[in-house]
Parts: sequence; C-alpha cells; structure tokens
Amino acid sequence: MAQYIRRRLITAIPVFFGITMLVFLLVDLAPGDLTDLMGEGAASTVEQAAMEAAVGLDQPLPVRYLLWLAGLFRGDLGRSYHYGQDVSHLIVQRIGPSLLLTGTGVVLAVAIAVPLGVAAAWKPKGAWDRLAHLFTISGSAVPGFFLALVAIYLFSVRLGWLPSSGMYRSVGGGDMADLLRHLILPAGVVGVSNVGSILRQTQSACLEVLGEDYIITARAKGLREGVVVVRHALGSALIPVLTSILTHIPHIIGGSVVVERIFGWPGMGSLMFSAVSGRDYNVVMGGTVVMALAVLLTSLLLDVVYGLVDPRVRYGER
Amino acid sequence: MKKITAFGLALVLTFALTACRGGTAESGAVPSQSEDEEVTVHYGISNSWDALMPYNSVSGSNYARMIYDKIYDRLAYVHADGTLSPRAAKRWENTDEGYAALFYLDENATFHDGTQVTAAHWVETFTLMTDPACPVLGRGNFSVFVGTDQDGCRTDGESFGVEAVDDFTLKLTFKVPTTPEDFLLDKNREFYVLPTHLLEGVDPSVLMELDLWKKPVGSGPCKFVEELPGSQLTLAANQHYHLGAPGFDYLVITVMDKSNLLTALIAGDLDYYAIGGSVSAEDAPLAESSGLTILEGTVPNTFFELMLNGNSIPDARVRRAIELALDKELLCEQSTHGLGTAAGSSISPESPYADAAVTAGERDVEAAKQLLAEAGYDGRRYTLVCTSNRSGLAALMQQNLAEAGINVIIETVDSAAMFAGMSDGTYDMGIASHTPGALPLWFTESRLSSTNNIFHIADLTPYTARIQAIRSETDQSKRLELVAELDTYLAQERPFIPLWFGTALHAQSPTVSNIDYPSSSFSNENVWEWVKE
Repeated sequence: MAQYIRRRLITAIPVFFGITMLVFLLVDLAPGDLTDLMGEGAASTVEQAAMEAAVGLDQPLPVRYLLWLAGLFRGDLGRSYHYGQDVSHLIVQRIGPSLLLTGTGVVLAVAIAVPLGVAAAWKPKGAWDRLAHLFTISGSAVPGFFLALVAIYLFSVRLGWLPSSGMYRSVGGGDMADLLRHLILPAGVVGVSNVGSILRQTQSACLEVLGEDYIITARAKGLREGVVVVRHALGSALIPVLTSILTHIPHIIGGSVVVERIFGWPGMGSLMFSAVSGRDYNVVMGGTVVMALAVLLTSLLLDVVYGLVDPRVRYGER
Repeated sequence: MKKITAFGLALVLTFALTACRGGTAESGAVPSQSEDEEVTVHYGISNSWDALMPYNSVSGSNYARMIYDKIYDRLAYVHADGTLSPRAAKRWENTDEGYAALFYLDENATFHDGTQVTAAHWVETFTLMTDPACPVLGRGNFSVFVGTDQDGCRTDGESFGVEAVDDFTLKLTFKVPTTPEDFLLDKNREFYVLPTHLLEGVDPSVLMELDLWKKPVGSGPCKFVEELPGSQLTLAANQHYHLGAPGFDYLVITVMDKSNLLTALIAGDLDYYAIGGSVSAEDAPLAESSGLTILEGTVPNTFFELMLNGNSIPDARVRRAIELALDKELLCEQSTHGLGTAAGSSISPESPYADAAVTAGERDVEAAKQLLAEAGYDGRRYTLVCTSNRSGLAALMQQNLAEAGINVIIETVDSAAMFAGMSDGTYDMGIASHTPGALPLWFTESRLSSTNNIFHIADLTPYTARIQAIRSETDQSKRLELVAELDTYLAQERPFIPLWFGTALHAQSPTVSNIDYPSSSFSNENVWEWVKE
C-alpha cells in the first residue's frame, strides 16, 4: 500500500506541473488583461505600460511562468494585483469558508441521497422511488442560481427567517449560532443541487446488487429486510457511491462560484470569480494550485478508500 | 460504516471550527456579540474594491473609490448637480491669473491616529506620488500640475506646482489656466491625503507593499477595523471627523451578487447598497410593493456610447450612416424604460456646457443608405462587441443596422476582453457605458489623445488642437464657442456614436436617513451625515 501511494505521488508531480503550465498558458491566451480594465477605455498607453511593468506583465510568458514557478518552490504564490496582498494569505482566508459551505452542502446531500436512493431501489415504483425521481430530475433541471434566488425570496424576504447574505454578522455576531443561521440557506442550496447525482448513483448501484443471488440467499435465511438492504446491498454498492461522494472533494475545496457569489459567502469560489473577471493572474494560479492538488489527492484517496471498503481491491503488489 | 459516519462527522466539525470567523486576518477591535447595542449600517456592493491604498487601484473603478472615500479625505464634496461643498478644504479661490488655486484646509481635520492634517501632508502625498520611483497607478492625474511630465512624473529642474503656503493653505499650480471648481469637478475623486508622517524614510519603490495599507490610517469619516479582501470590510465611524460624526457605530461593506442586492435590502439584511441604491425600472414596482420608496435621480448618471474602430471603418460617411441607422429613441427606451434622453454628444444635458452640445438627430434609414452608397460601402460584415448583459441591446442595434444594409455580427465577451479588442482593433464596434462628468471634455480628452487612441483615429491633430484650445481658454463665452465647435466636428467625423444619457432610480433605505442618493451615483457618499434610525 505504502509503495503504491509513493508511486502514485511520484506520477502526480509531472501531472501537477502540466496543469499549472496549461492554466498559465490559457490565462495568457484569454483576451484582455489587467490593463484593459483600467478606466473603462480611458487609460493611456503610458499608464497601461506602467502598470504592466509594476506587476511584471511586461516580461515574456516563459519568463513569467518560470518566475512564478520559482516563487512556488519558495512557497510564495505572489501578490494579488487587485488586493495587494499575498495570494497564499488570501487562499488561507477563503478556503475555510468554502470547506464549511460546500462540505456541509455535500454532507447534507449525502444524508438525503443515500437513504433515499436505497429506499427507492428497495421498493421500485413506490413512493420513495417517485420522490427520488423528483429529486433527480429537479436536481439536474433547476440551476443553482435559480434555486438560490428562490430560497432567498422565500426564507429571507417572505418569511424573514434567515439572513440572505454573508457568513456572519461582523459586528455583534460571529458565534456558532450566528454562523449556522447564515449557513443554512447556502449550504441547503449546495446540498439540494448535489442530491440528484449521488441519489442516482446510489439507487442504480443498489438496484443492481438487490438482484444478486446472495441477496436472495440472505432473505431466504430469514434475515431482517433492513439488514439485507443496509448491510448486504448498500455495503456492496458502496464503491460507486463513494466514488460519487469523494469526487465532490475538489468541488468542496474550490467552493461553489454561483452560490458563494449570490450569498456573499467569502469562499474560494467567489475569490476565483473575481480573480478571473479582474484578470488577477496570481490569484488564478494560486487557486489552480489548490484545485490541482485537491484533484490529484482525491484521486489517490479514492483508490485507498476502495481498498479499505472492498478487500478484493489490491494495489498491484508483485 | 460507523467508522465512515464518524469520520464524516469529525470532518464537518473540523470544517466548522476552521471556518468560524472565516480567517479575517486583518482585524481590529470588532465588538463581540455581547455588544448588540452597537448601531451597524450594512452596505452591499456588487464589485470588490482593490488594495486599500488609493493610489494603487488597479481597476480605478467607482467601487474602489467608494471605499477610499470613506477611509481617506478628499478636498471637496461634489454634488450630482456639479456644485461643491467643503470637505478637507473649507474654501478655495483662484490666483496667479487663473494658473493656480488656493485651498484653505480645515484646521479641525485629523488622521485616525490623532495627528492634525496639514498642507504639508497634502504636499508630501503629491510629491511622493509623482516620484518616478514610486509605482503609482493612475499617476497621469498629476500631469495637470506644473513640474510634471505628461505621465504625471516630477521633472528635474522645474519647481513642482504643489506647495504649502502655510500650515493650512495648499497651493496648486496648473499648466493651463484652471478654476478650482473645474479642477475639483475633474479630479477631486482622484486625490486623497495620506498619513505621510507614518511614511517617513520609506523607500518610494516599496511604498505599495507596506503593511500600513492592510490596516490603513486615513482622515476620512470612517476608520478601518478589519478586512477580508474582496469580500467584507468593516469600518468604524470616525467620531472626530471634522464635518461631524456619522450617525452609526460601524459600517460593514459586503460584496454580493448584483441579483441579491435589492432582495437583501427588502429583507432588511442591508441598509443600503452601492451605487446609490440603483434599481432598474423593471424592478422598481417590486421594490415599491415591498415597502421601499423609489426616488428618481436628478441628473443623468450613465452615458452610453457605441465605440467605433476608425481603422476598419475609415470613412466618416459610413460612421455617420451607422448613427443615422440607429433608432436611439427606441434603444434608449428599451434600456432605460423612459428614464433616458437620446444623445448627440458626450456633453451631459445638465452640464453648464449643454447649450454647446449637438442634439440627437432623427433616425433616417434612407439618408444612411445614401451615405453608404456615396462611401462605396461594400457590404462588409462588422463585429459588434458587448458584455453579456447588453446582448439584447446589441441585437436591436443589429436589426436597426440591417435595415440600412449594414451587416453586423455580435460577439459577447467580458469587459476586459471588450476594451482589449477595441484597443487592438479586433472589433469594429463596441457598446460601453460611463459615469458622465460635468465638464465638456470629461469623455473626449482622455480618449482622443496620442496615448489613448481607442477609436483608432488616423490623424488626431484636429481633435487634440481643439481640446487644447478649450483647456487654455479662460473666457467662458469663448470657451462655450470652442466646445460647440469641437462637438460639431465630432458629429461630422463621428469617431464614436453617443447613444443616450440615463437617469437612475434609487431604492431608498428604510433604515438610514440623510443619504444623498443622486450624488452617490458619482461616487460621492456623504457618509458623515448618514443616520441609522
């Protein structure tokens, strides 16, 4: 196992640098740069050149990439052009709120989707199946921003139960209760938006397993239906379900751009949105580093978890 | 299974603990929940600000200015109608035959650390910002002063036109005769006084990297408390602000999506949102039915133009034909729902120079066709670029132009790509909007110059000569004539097409009084007069 993890980590290194190189190139290829945002077309070429020089954009692309890479090796992700602060500092500030928001949303989605998926597979064409169908269709068809606006209208404007934006009251707030009040709506939207995919995966995996001979045998032996479904069926269907859940990890770290923007949640998603639209290249690259690491480590984690869940999975020891 | 559940719960708990109070590193003395009696104004904004150093604003946008305006002090307060009120300066007057202006500073003004603001602070700020070694953004604004080059850098061997006459009198000397009123209308929002007593001995080349800008000290109506860059800024009322203490304790500014600003105001989560609580005519009935009062702006606060590329549309007759083919009244109505005026000039209808402005002509498709025939238009296809929120407007323009036989395809991009594409000549036309100024050259001077030829004009001399003549003329009636002449020339050459001036609707805060909504549209917020009930 340890040897397998080491090998995977070594192969991840070129992939990681390949990703950074590709993103650096794509960012550079995108039309318009920082200087084009100055003064809505009123900035002079002299001012634009001065800004390019000030932030190093006057250097050729390979030089800029190598400088950025050299900084990365020193643990320096550079400074944000817009905020004038260290990118690593900005990421540290934003990653926690994203983990909280999207993490809670995904946990909520799992809490709804897994039991519902199992119930729907257990009694096809029953009430649970119809409810699951409703979740699956609406989860795919209703965009997150619409759901967010509806939630705000209903729970903030009409009922006045929950705040419509922010993460906490910065004055006279900031305790756990205040945080939870602010968290419910955005995390609910993230959760409901993700229920569909996990539910579909759980339902189809369980349906497949429930038709297996060993399930019939378990029932014939007189085991309780709950034990048959949960221990035997869900246990065996866990690998595809776990895959579906764990693939959300990069999304959890990267945050949800739309939900964070609408709810004014100070996470990675809203930071990346501002960075891309403001051509804040160092922040875009910093976010890319975090995301690339998240994707690569998630992939490794998935393989490790497969082995823990299913003893039949082996790691190619020779 | 139990282990996995336990692991999941532990993870959630860790998330919660990690993210509580969201890493607000640059924090000051924020009251805890026990101090619920603190009066807080919740302020929403759709775009984030830049670094908290006013001369290091990458975007140079009104969103950044709104923030600087709170922490730092400006010389004056500019009202929407172009009148001026004292701020850092109590009064001002012309001197040296119109080449200089004296600003008499308020002796009661102090920085947030208690240091008195003097003319020396202003001089040192301007001196530092015009130092070529200091990486200032927007330095071109300083080029109006004697002793600077066209980039705003101080020149050797020439005395600098920024001096302290005494402790509280600041003298600014200009390259061309300029009234203090015109100077303030043009540049007031670009100049702030910095706490130079905290900058002694600092190498100008590293000035922007100082930790001071993470916890800035200014002399404005609000003091810095804490910031989560690009997301939330907490300010405290400056109880010693010389124009009066704001009627609240804290001002919390939160970035949120435009789509949620009005709903947050209705829900009571916001007390006000920038810019000026602006609300579209479509949303106004909803706001009113939700109990908000809607106020109509008093002066136009948006100017729409169609940028043209003089390289790909070199014939002025084709450019005029494009203007004649556009139904400006219809476009304006569609966009503003009756809150706009079709324009034939970039001079604002409320400006003292409005009489010199060319008026919007009637749409005349036949005349457009005739001009195109005269110019030998070969039916080539032009690319019209716009941001996604203006694609409907672009489609209407496309229909208008098609009726005159002008082929247009629409490309939707973001702001940076649009201005980059117009600058490098990728696109032939582009829809842009701006906040208009009261002066006649607010739009043209910066866009018709050798260092910014965004309309790709082959020979700029006829424009720059006329602009220079206007700038140098001190006699008002003669100046008006020169402005009229420039405007007529612009109408004849049409390097850009003025479309309309729009007036805003403001959703008034139900909880905060004394907000000067019309002026806030021009990034002037009288926050020291705001009172939260």
